[in-house]
Amino acid sequence: MDIILLKATAVLYLLATASFVFYVLVRDTASRLPTLVLLAGFLLHTSALSVHFLQEGYPAVTQFHQALTFKSWLIVALYLVIQIKYRLPVLGAIVTPVAFLMTLAAFAFGAASGELPPGLKTYWLPVHFTLAFLGNAVFALAFAVSLIYLLQERGLKHKKMTALLKRIPSLEALDRLNYQLLVWGFPLMTLGILTGSLLARIYWGDYWTWDPRQISSGIAWLFYGALLHGRITAGLRGKKAAILTMFGFCVVLGYFLWGETLFPSRHGGRFE
Amino acid sequence: MQKEIVIVGLNHRSAPIEVRESVAFENGYVRDALVRLRGYPAVQESVILSTCNRVEVVAAVSDTETACHELKTFLDEQRAGHGASTLEDHLYTFRGADAVRHLFRVAASLDSMVVGEPQILGQLKEFYDAARQAGTVGTVLHRLFHRSFFVAKRVRTETGIASRAVSVSSVAVDLAKRIFDSFDDKNVMLIGAGKMGDLMARQLQRSGVKSLMVTNRTFERAVAVAERIHGSPILFEDFPRYLKMADLVIGCTGSPEILVDAPAVEKVLRERKQQPMFFIDIGDRRNFDSAINDIDNAYLYNIDDLKEVAEENLQERSNEAQKAEEIVVQEVENFGRWIGSLERVPTIAALRAHFDEIRRRELARSLSGNLKDLSSEQRQAMDDMTAAMINKMLHGPISHLKKDAPEEDEEEVRFIAALKKLFDLEGK
Repeated sequence: MDIILLKATAVLYLLATASFVFYVLVRDTASRLPTLVLLAGFLLHTSALSVHFLQEGYPAVTQFHQALTFKSWLIVALYLVIQIKYRLPVLGAIVTPVAFLMTLAAFAFGAASGELPPGLKTYWLPVHFTLAFLGNAVFALAFAVSLIYLLQERGLKHKKMTALLKRIPSLEALDRLNYQLLVWGFPLMTLGILTGSLLARIYWGDYWTWDPRQISSGIAWLFYGALLHGRITAGLRGKKAAILTMFGFCVVLGYFLWGETLFPSRHGGRFE
Repeated sequence: MQKEIVIVGLNHRSAPIEVRESVAFENGYVRDALVRLRGYPAVQESVILSTCNRVEVVAAVSDTETACHELKTFLDEQRAGHGASTLEDHLYTFRGADAVRHLFRVAASLDSMVVGEPQILGQLKEFYDAARQAGTVGTVLHRLFHRSFFVAKRVRTETGIASRAVSVSSVAVDLAKRIFDSFDDKNVMLIGAGKMGDLMARQLQRSGVKSLMVTNRTFERAVAVAERIHGSPILFEDFPRYLKMADLVIGCTGSPEILVDAPAVEKVLRERKQQPMFFIDIGDRRNFDSAINDIDNAYLYNIDDLKEVAEENLQERSNEAQKAEEIVVQEVENFGRWIGSLERVPTIAALRAHFDEIRRRELARSLSGNLKDLSSEQRQAMDDMTAAMINKMLHGPISHLKKDAPEEDEEEVRFIAALKKLFDLEGK
């Protein structure tokens, strides 16, 4: 049942992608349609996850493909919140195809390892992955917002004046949004790591075990922390901040995709 | 008597700036000139347009040939003392439907140097008002101008012609909107007292900037400009100190030296924690170091950049202009129909006058002849009776004339001609 719902979700995400691309890039007119299609997809996605939870009694997050689709769900949710407040269809044109590909990829990888070890079914686990995934999703959006910032910035420096650039928010607004995402993402990531080390204490015996996942998270955390610090105290903003934000997410994403094949970790939900 | 619409004038295409300037009316003051125009016998109604890009007289005239000649003389006289060479080579003349079309195109900003720029409509309204106050606007020009305002509005709402920045200052505002989210917390610094800078500062003010600083080498001029645009004047020596407060900096001096260089901007940006700055260089010479644009969070546009953007917008709007031209064609047709209906009004009046004259003559003769014994009430009754008779008799033909003919068809024209001929109305 949840698989059928998930397939329908993927179809709607594809439709939303098409309408975003059509309205934002081709027709270049404001329309609510893409957002509404995306919202419909999101609701289906929510029901798919709910059905899974009700059937299995546990959220669908423990395997790589499940983690992927859960992340895409979070990203879409965050985008919808931002869309309400900031009206950023250009961001939708970036986020929606990503969500679609993530959902699609979930089907490609399918279920690999079977059941979750019974010992891992604690309350800390859902708290941990929700926080960690939320942090990731916020940074993913910050990545996209930075990309849009660079687009606008480049257009201004190179004296380009297209209709699209005119409809993208101002540098000031994008930079502020980027900052806010960092302000929200960093504590979430911190809590994700803290709950993670709590789980490490429970299952691996120590808070800090030099596991590759812990090391990579620590690096990303330090990086984002430095970025936030620079923004608050040293007037780091604009293009440099955008580039660093994008770089930070690449570290996170890179590890998520390839890191654990190079440095095997005991951490769950990995790519196999 | 039938009036024809005539436009005699010159614009940015037909005449170079020196010629335009020599004919232009000082500060758009046209009242005296309008009074003078009333002295020309063939010119019945007139409106004078005088902007930096055009000087035109729009007139409703009785005798086109004479009027055109008179209007040319008028413009030549206006130029007297400015230069000896004749104006004739630079003047254009439009008549009838062509004149209507020309005015509609001007109003819709299709004839502007920068097509689609919105100022022209406001200017047109001002000059129309001036003429109305001077008492030189009659039925024809009243209708013509109101129609042209309507056409301009239609063009603006039905085509995308005005949706793109077209003047240098509105391009600058558009760019500023891509850098800044809101203007109400932004400060502007205007360096120099050039006209262009003045214009741009005003435009930014209309967009709602928080404050305006004005500086100039001559402090008195800074004070004068600041007063005019509600800014605060600052001493020229002090402006580098205030630079860190400015989000938008407009340079508009004739100074041959660079007033703000890249290292200064880098320093200022550090002081303002990298809050973005927008430099707009619109002076005759470069006021800002071009390396400023290479600094993060600083954006520099000079007059050529702004013009180029405006030019690009212009290119993209050519389709829209095409649509606008179609609207103009339609409206010129509509107006032609109205003018046609106007032609019937004198016919109706003449027809009535002709019959009434006969009635009065015959009545007077009878009342002084064999009906001379009638009492005053009876006389009055006779008068009323004959008037009613004439009205009844003419009711058919007149209501036919008043009916708005859907088109200027040939039958209609022949009908009017026949009436005129049958009752000998020509020349009355």
